[in-house]
Amino acid sequence: MIYEKETRYVIPFGDIPSPRAEMPEISVDERRENYTEVETGFPEKIAVQEARRCLSCRRCLGCALCWAECKPEAIDFDIPDEELELEFDDVIITNGQDNAFYPFNPQLGYGKYPDVITDLQFERMLSPTGPFNGMVVSPLDGEIPGRIAVVQGDTGDDEEHLLSSLILGVNQSVIALDKIKDLEMVLISPLCESFQEKFFAEAEKIPGLQIIEGSPESVEKERDTKEPLLLKYSADGENKQKAFDLIVILTKPKISPELESLSNLFWTEFGMHVF
Amino acid sequence: MCTGRIDPAMVARAFQKRLDGLMVVGCYFGDCHYISGNVQAKAKIDTTRKLFKHIGVNEERLAFRQCSSGEASVFVKLVTEFDEKIRSLGPLGGDGDRVKAPEIFGKLEAAEAVLAGEKIRWVMGKRTPFLETGNIYGEIFTEHEFNRAMDMIIVEEIEVQEILAKLKEGARSVKDLAGDLAIPSERVFRYITALKRKGMVALDNVADRSPIFQLVPQEV
Amino acid sequence: MDDKTVLIVGGGLDGVRTALEQVETGAQVTIVEKFPTLGAERIPRDRLIRPEQAFINPDLEKVRDHNNIRILTYSDIKKINRDNGKLRVRILKHSLRVDNSKCNDCKACIQVCPVNMFDDFDEGLGFRTAVDFCNLATGGYNIYKEDMPVCQETCPVNLDIRAYVGLIADGKHLESLAKIRERLPLPGSIGRICPHPCETACNRQYLDEPISICFLKRFVSDVELSQEIEPVYETPEHKYPEKIAIVGAGPAGLTCAHDLARLGYEHIKIFESLPVPGGYLWVGIPEYRLPKKLLQREVDLICNMGVEIQYNTRIGKDVAFENLTNDYDALFIGIGCHMGLKLRVPGEDDYEGIVDCVTFLREQALGNLPKAKGKLIVIGGGNAAIDSARVGWRMGFDKVYILYRRTKKEMPANSWEIDAAEHEGVILQYLAAPVEILGENGKVTGMKCIKMELGEPDDSGRRRPVPIEGSEYIIDAETIVPAISQGTDLRFLDEGHDFDLSRWNTFLIDEETGATNIPGVFAGGDVVTGPDIAIRAIAGGKRAAVGIHEYLRSK
Ligand SMILES: Cc1cc2nc3c(=O)[nH]c(=O)nc-3n(C[C@H](O)[C@H](O)[C@H](O)COP(=O)(O)OP(=O)(O)OC[C@H]3O[C@@H](n4cnc5c(N)ncnc54)[C@H](O)[C@@H]3O)c2cc1C
Ligand code: SF4
Ligand code: SF4
Ligand code: SF4
Repeated sequence: MIYEKETRYVIPFGDIPSPRAEMPEISVDERRENYTEVETGFPEKIAVQEARRCLSCRRCLGCALCWAECKPEAIDFDIPDEELELEFDDVIITNGQDNAFYPFNPQLGYGKYPDVITDLQFERMLSPTGPFNGMVVSPLDGEIPGRIAVVQGDTGDDEEHLLSSLILGVNQSVIALDKIKDLEMVLISPLCESFQEKFFAEAEKIPGLQIIEGSPESVEKERDTKEPLLLKYSADGENKQKAFDLIVILTKPKISPELESLSNLFWTEFGMHVF
Repeated sequence: MCTGRIDPAMVARAFQKRLDGLMVVGCYFGDCHYISGNVQAKAKIDTTRKLFKHIGVNEERLAFRQCSSGEASVFVKLVTEFDEKIRSLGPLGGDGDRVKAPEIFGKLEAAEAVLAGEKIRWVMGKRTPFLETGNIYGEIFTEHEFNRAMDMIIVEEIEVQEILAKLKEGARSVKDLAGDLAIPSERVFRYITALKRKGMVALDNVADRSPIFQLVPQEV
Repeated sequence: MDDKTVLIVGGGLDGVRTALEQVETGAQVTIVEKFPTLGAERIPRDRLIRPEQAFINPDLEKVRDHNNIRILTYSDIKKINRDNGKLRVRILKHSLRVDNSKCNDCKACIQVCPVNMFDDFDEGLGFRTAVDFCNLATGGYNIYKEDMPVCQETCPVNLDIRAYVGLIADGKHLESLAKIRERLPLPGSIGRICPHPCETACNRQYLDEPISICFLKRFVSDVELSQEIEPVYETPEHKYPEKIAIVGAGPAGLTCAHDLARLGYEHIKIFESLPVPGGYLWVGIPEYRLPKKLLQREVDLICNMGVEIQYNTRIGKDVAFENLTNDYDALFIGIGCHMGLKLRVPGEDDYEGIVDCVTFLREQALGNLPKAKGKLIVIGGGNAAIDSARVGWRMGFDKVYILYRRTKKEMPANSWEIDAAEHEGVILQYLAAPVEILGENGKVTGMKCIKMELGEPDDSGRRRPVPIEGSEYIIDAETIVPAISQGTDLRFLDEGHDFDLSRWNTFLIDEETGATNIPGVFAGGDVVTGPDIAIRAIAGGKRAAVGIHEYLRSK
C-alpha cells in the first residue's frame, strides 16, 4: 500500500510507559535436568502497561467530519473498491510514482537532520506544484538557504547511475540558482567518464555552481540542531569540510519490490519485455 | 443543570480568568435524568484534563466527582477535599504547575481554541457510537484506541492553535514562530506547510532569507 | 480486426509517455497506477537544462481525453494469468471515497480532518490529512483508509492486533482472548512460540521498541487458565453432510478442522501417524517452551467441536491414500516436513549414535530416548538446532556443542533463542563444519571438523563459508544430531501420482484456495512452504478451509 513508506509518521504520547516489557524467566539453575517452562508470563500489571504502549495505528478514523463539511456532497464512504478482470496482449512496466531508492551512507545524516534531504524531495520542492510552489526552503526552519550542497549518496562504480544522478544534480542546481539570489551551490560527487566527456565543460560554465570531484563522508552539526550542517568530504586526496544550510543527497533509484516481482514474473513466466 | 452540558471550552476560558480549580459533580452513572449526560461529562472532563496535563497545567485542578442529590455529607466531603487540594497547589501558574504564569495563560488560550474547535468536539461526540456501534465503516474502537485518537488530536491541535493565535497578531516566519512558541522549528515548518496546503495561511513576503507567512481570512 | 491491447504499469512520466506512444500505433491502452493520481512533472536526467525549461510535464490532458486510454489510478495488480495467448490481469481499484466530479476543491474537508500523515506525493516534506488531494496540479481527492494496520497486515492470519491489544489495555482480558480466537484456535500455544513477524513491522519501533504482541496473546490465554474457565468453541446449528479427511494433526490440519467445524461440517476426521496431536508443536518444540498439557487442552477444545482424531494411523501404510480419496468428499494434506536431511559426510551411516534432529526431538518428546551419556554435538544454525541442543543440555549430556558454518550474525535461528542457549551453557562453535564422523566398535566416538572463513557472497546474499585448509580438529562425542534442514516425506503417494510438485518436493497449490491440481484435494502448512513457522502453517489451514467450503458448496 502507498502512504506507508519507511518514514512513518508516529506521534509520541506523553503518558506511554516507554520501554518494552521483558518476559520473566526461571533461572538457569532451575532448568537443568527438567523441562519446566522457562518463560513465566507477564503479570497483569505489566501486561496492561505493555498493551497501553500500542499506538492503535489508524489513518482515517471514519469520523465523517469531512463528509459533514463538504457542501457539494462529494464525499461518499460507500463508493466500493472495484475488481476488474482485463485481457491484454502486451504489458509494459514502468517505474510509476513509487520512488524507492537504495540505502546510502547513513553518516550523511538523512533522517537525523531535517535539513538533509534526498534529490527526490528536492525535486518536489523545486516543482511549481510542490509543497511550497517552487520556493526552496530548509525543512529545519523554513528559511531560504544561502549555501546548498548536492552530494552523491551512492559512490559505487555504477556508471549509468553516476551519469544520470550527476545530470540531475546539475539540473537541480541550475533551477535553485535561478530561484535564489547569491546562492552558493556546490556539487560533490565522483565523476564518471561519460559525464566528463559530454557534460562537464558545459556544467562548469554555469555561474554560481562549483563542481568538486570527491566523495562525501559525513554530515555533522557542531552543538545543537539549529546550527548549519558541517559536511566532511574527501577531494584531491585530502579530507576537507565545509558548512551548508541545506544538503541534498543524490540517490540511486530502485525498482520497488512489487514491480520487481512483477517484472520477474513476466520475465520468467511469460518472457515479456520490461521498460 | 446536567453535567453533560458542560462545555470544555468554557472550562478553559474560566481558567484563563484566573480560576485555580474546578470540580464538576455529577450524578452516579445510571442515575442520569438524560440517560448518559454524566458519562459524556466525564469523557469531556477527562479529555480536558489530558489537554491540561499536556500544556503544563496541573490536571488536578480539574476534577470530576459523583454524588446524588440526597448525599449532603458526601458532597461536603468532596468539596472540602478538593478545596484542600487546590490550596496546596497554590495559584495557577505557580509552583503547582509545570508551565508558569504568564505563559500558562497563552497556553490556556490555545487550549480554549482547541476545545472550541470542531475537530475535538466532533470526535468527542463520536465516543459512544465509536465504542458501541462503530465508525462510518462499522469498525468498533476499544476505549484505548479512542483515547489514543483523542491524544493524537490534542497533541497536534494545541500546537496548531498556538501557531494560529500568534499569526493572528501578525505575519511571521517559521523561525520566529518557533522562537516565540518554544516548539521545535521543524515541527512549526510542517504545520505551516500543512496550513498552507489547506489554504489557511499564505506567503506574505520574503524578508531577506525569511519567508513570512500570514493568515488567510476564512469566510464563516 | 481487434485492436491490440496494452497494459502499462506505472503512471509516472514514463508511463504517460509510453501510453501516448502506444495509442499512436493504434493500440487500446490501460494505465495502472498505485497513487490516486497520475504522475507529476519531472526534471530531466539525460540532458542539461536551462531554468526556463526546468520541468517536463507529462501530457496529462491528452491522456485523460483520449478515447483509447483508460486510466486506473489507486489500483493494484492482484493476479496475472496466461490464457491462450492473452494475459488475464486482475486489478483492484481502491475506492477514492471522494467523487471528484462533484468536488469543487474548496478544501473544507482537509481543514477539519483530524488526522495528519506524511504527504508521500511530496516525498514526506509536509503533512496531508486522511482526506486530501494528492497532487496540487491535478487534484485527485481521496480518503486514505488502510484495510488494516501494518501489524495485522503482516500477521499471516491477520489477527486484529490493534483490537486485542487495546482490549488488554482496557482490562478486558477475556474479551481480548475471544477476539483472538475469532481467527486463531491455538492462542496459548502460538502466544508462546511464534517468532512474531508482526512485531518486526509494528510502528512503535520508530519511537522505541515494538509492542510485545505475541506475549500479550499468551497473557490473555493464561488469564483464562488461572480463572479456570472452560471455553466452548461454538459450531452453528445448521450442519453440512459432507465428509472431510485431514492428514496430519499439526497446526495446519488442526486449524483447517476447526474452521470447517465452525462453518458447520460435522464429519471431519484427522488421520495422524503419531500417538499425539500438534505435529511439531508436540514433537519438535520442546516442553520447556510449550508445555504439552497446554497444547493438549487447546487440541481438546477443537475435538469438542466434533472433530475426530485417529492416532497411530499413517496414511500410505495403515490406510491407503486411495481410500481417502474414495471415501471422502474433500481432503486436506497437512503432513509437514518430517524427514531429517543428511549431512553427507563419511561415516554418517556406519555408527550408532547419530540421529537427525527430527527423530531426536520426537523420541525425546515421546519419552523413548535412553538416558543421556557423554557429549553431544548438534550441527546446524536453525531453531531446530538450538532446540536440540537445549533439550540435550536438559537431558544431562556432559557437554553440548552447536557447530555452525557461518557466524552468529548469519544464524537463521531467532536471536533470543541463541542467547538463551548460550546462557544455559551450550557451547556454540561458529565457522566450523563437519568433515567425518568417527567411531569405534560400531559406535560414534567423535567428529572431525574443519574451520571455515567467510568468502564472497552467494546467491542468497550471505557470504559463502570456505574451509581453511589444514585446520581440521576433532571433538569427542557419543551422540551427534544433524539439524541441517527438513524435507517432505511424500512416500504415501503412488509412484505414478498426478500431483504437481515443486522441485523441493512440496505441493503446488492455488494461492487463493489452497487447492492442489487434483480436484477435492487441498494442502497447506510446511508440506507446501517447506520448513516454516507455525502461524504460517495455520494460515495455510485456514485458507484451505475456505477453499474446501467453496469447493463443496459449488459442487
Ligand atoms: C525443532 C523445531 C522447532 C520449531 N520451533 C518453532 C517455533 O518456535 N515457532 C514456530 O512458529 N515454529 C516453529 N517450528 C516450525 C513449526 O513447528 C512448523 O512450521 C509447524 O508445526 C508446521 O505445521 P504443519 O501443520 O504444516 O506440520 P507439522 O506440525 O509438521 O504436522 C504434520 C503432522 O502430520 C503427521 N504426518 C506426517 N505424515 C503423515 C502420514 N503419512 N499420515 C498421517 N500423518 C502424518 C505428522 O506426524 C505431524 O503430526 C519448529 C519446528 C521444529 C522442527
Ligand atoms: S471533497 Fe473536500 S475539497 Fe472537495 S468539495 Fe468536498 S469539502 Fe470541498
Ligand atoms: S475527517 Fe474524514 S478523512 Fe478525516 S478521519 Fe474523519 S472521516 Fe476520515
Ligand atoms: S503500535 Fe504496533 S501493535 Fe499497535 S496498532 Fe500500531 S503496529 Fe499494531
